[in-house]
Amino acid sequence: MKYLKIFPPSLAIILIGLSSVFFSAQANAECGKVVIASQNWASAELMAEVDKVILENGYGCEVELIPGSTMPTFTSMDEKGAPDMNPEQWANAVYTPLIKAVDEGRLVIANKAPIGGLGEGWWITPGTIELHPEIKGMTAVEILEHPEWFPDKEDPSKGAFHGCPAGWGCQLVNANLFRAFDMEKKGWVLVDPGSAAGLDGSIAKAAESGNPWLGYYWNPTSIVGKYDLQPVPWGVDFIGRDHWDNCIVKPEQECADPKPSAWTHSEVNSIITAEFAERGGSDIVSYIGARTYPGTVMNGMLVWMGDNQAGGSDAAIEFLNNHEDVWSTWVSSSVVDKIKSAL
Amino acid sequence: MERTDLMELKKAIDLGFRLFSRKYGDAIESFFDPLLFFLVRLEKLLLATPWPIIILVVAILAWLGSRSWKLVAGSAVAFMLIGYFGMWEDTMATVAIITVCTILCIAVGIPIGVLMSKSDRTEKTILPILDMMQTIPSFVYLVPILMLLGIGKVPGLIAVCIYALPPVVRLTNLGIREVDKETLEACDSYGATPFQKLTTVQIPLSLPTIFAGVNQTIMMALAMVVIASMIGVKGLGVPILRAISNQYLALGLMNGLAIVALAIIFDRITQQYGKRMQKHRGIQQK
Repeated sequence: MKYLKIFPPSLAIILIGLSSVFFSAQANAECGKVVIASQNWASAELMAEVDKVILENGYGCEVELIPGSTMPTFTSMDEKGAPDMNPEQWANAVYTPLIKAVDEGRLVIANKAPIGGLGEGWWITPGTIELHPEIKGMTAVEILEHPEWFPDKEDPSKGAFHGCPAGWGCQLVNANLFRAFDMEKKGWVLVDPGSAAGLDGSIAKAAESGNPWLGYYWNPTSIVGKYDLQPVPWGVDFIGRDHWDNCIVKPEQECADPKPSAWTHSEVNSIITAEFAERGGSDIVSYIGARTYPGTVMNGMLVWMGDNQAGGSDAAIEFLNNHEDVWSTWVSSSVVDKIKSAL
Repeated sequence: MERTDLMELKKAIDLGFRLFSRKYGDAIESFFDPLLFFLVRLEKLLLATPWPIIILVVAILAWLGSRSWKLVAGSAVAFMLIGYFGMWEDTMATVAIITVCTILCIAVGIPIGVLMSKSDRTEKTILPILDMMQTIPSFVYLVPILMLLGIGKVPGLIAVCIYALPPVVRLTNLGIREVDKETLEACDSYGATPFQKLTTVQIPLSLPTIFAGVNQTIMMALAMVVIASMIGVKGLGVPILRAISNQYLALGLMNGLAIVALAIIFDRITQQYGKRMQKHRGIQQK
């Protein structure tokens, strides 16, 4: 008897629940459920959260974020067709399999450059420019003639060039470029900062005290934004994939004669599964294609996240509130209104 | 605490420290310059000296410390193996930083230990600080050290010393406190001044204990070599870090064993020396 008494109201609740699912499914017919990979670093988190807000409010999707990381996320998308989208896929890490997956129609590169001003390379602190104004506009090749501008703490007669911590891929590249540019003879030492914290710390220390600093870093990062690091143009061309892949990225003993080269082009894509490209429709695909964060805006957001120790979801709201000029160009005006009313 | 308040507090602490390091960072850095100079010189000296001489010096030290042929032969063979496996330069860099760190810890630690043994109140204030220095995770103080001094040898040395200093302080304190009461009474009755009592009776009698502290300090300094390498100190820690991030088993094992070899050599020499001191003074080991 007890069950019978309870049955009608619970049935009603289930019916209401079902109908609401039904109706919302009706409303979202053009999009449905979307699973987006939220990778475990700040810029990827931010992009995933912004996509979530825009797709949910602008296009009526139902978005679920799942944690991810470069290789596992790619493998899962390639093999299983899920998640539906990775907003920030570093392409160099998955170069060959990505091309294959695109050729075979499993994945679609929806945006070839979602973040502007991207890349690895050599940077200087603003303090360097203050002390030696003539450095402005100089290329790496020219700067390397002036080791005296970057005195090494332990041997002030030499110039300090900060490479990568031991064990990072870029450590080999920097060591080989160090030899390629003949830097030892020019009076440089290659400083091994020991760890990510060491590299960041050496930049923070130099930038805080206005000292000169030359070394490796990459963009987009909060360090570049926070300390306003200036990229150094190379002054030489990229040597070509062949020499880069077979010599520059190899250990010293496998690269007897490295040649001077600019850093290889780093490529970040937004990739989606072919199935989602079809299901989502042209509106959503063109939104993803148009969605490019200018480098300075991205760095500004990363600094804001660091300063406020904020996660991706807070940062997405902050971004949508303060950078309407950026994101309003990604979507149609009716979608802009929908998102603004939702904020 | 409210979430926003907590965040404000964290930000305020960060900002406060940043202002501090901006204002005093250079001054503090130049305060440590002599140390850097000494460290760089020592490393250059060790590297410039031909290896047979270094091995000879190690062997002589081993003999002076232990009077044991076994230890002398063992040390010489260990160093030769280190050289044979191509770890000589890193080992010399490590020896340099360990040496300077030990000297620094002795110079700072023994006076603090003496002060602690003189007054119970000082002991009570310093003991918790020592506890903290030994237990706080080193990554926590690496951040402020990096902000203040950047990367390199001196910040690495300080990080090592923070961890390695407590044993020598503790055991100096303990050694002096354990000196026989009747001996001290005899001193007093002969009219020795407190300074005479300290330098001619208390410290000499507690030397074996103090030496055990020095031994522990060296061991702890060696244990910190890898951490120090994370902030740009050259030495055996660098290849170990490389081995960790690339999963190079052999590289990590070889350099790890080199650290172990150094540790055993230092440990045996100092321990034997401490024991011989006790024998010489006719004190039975407890």
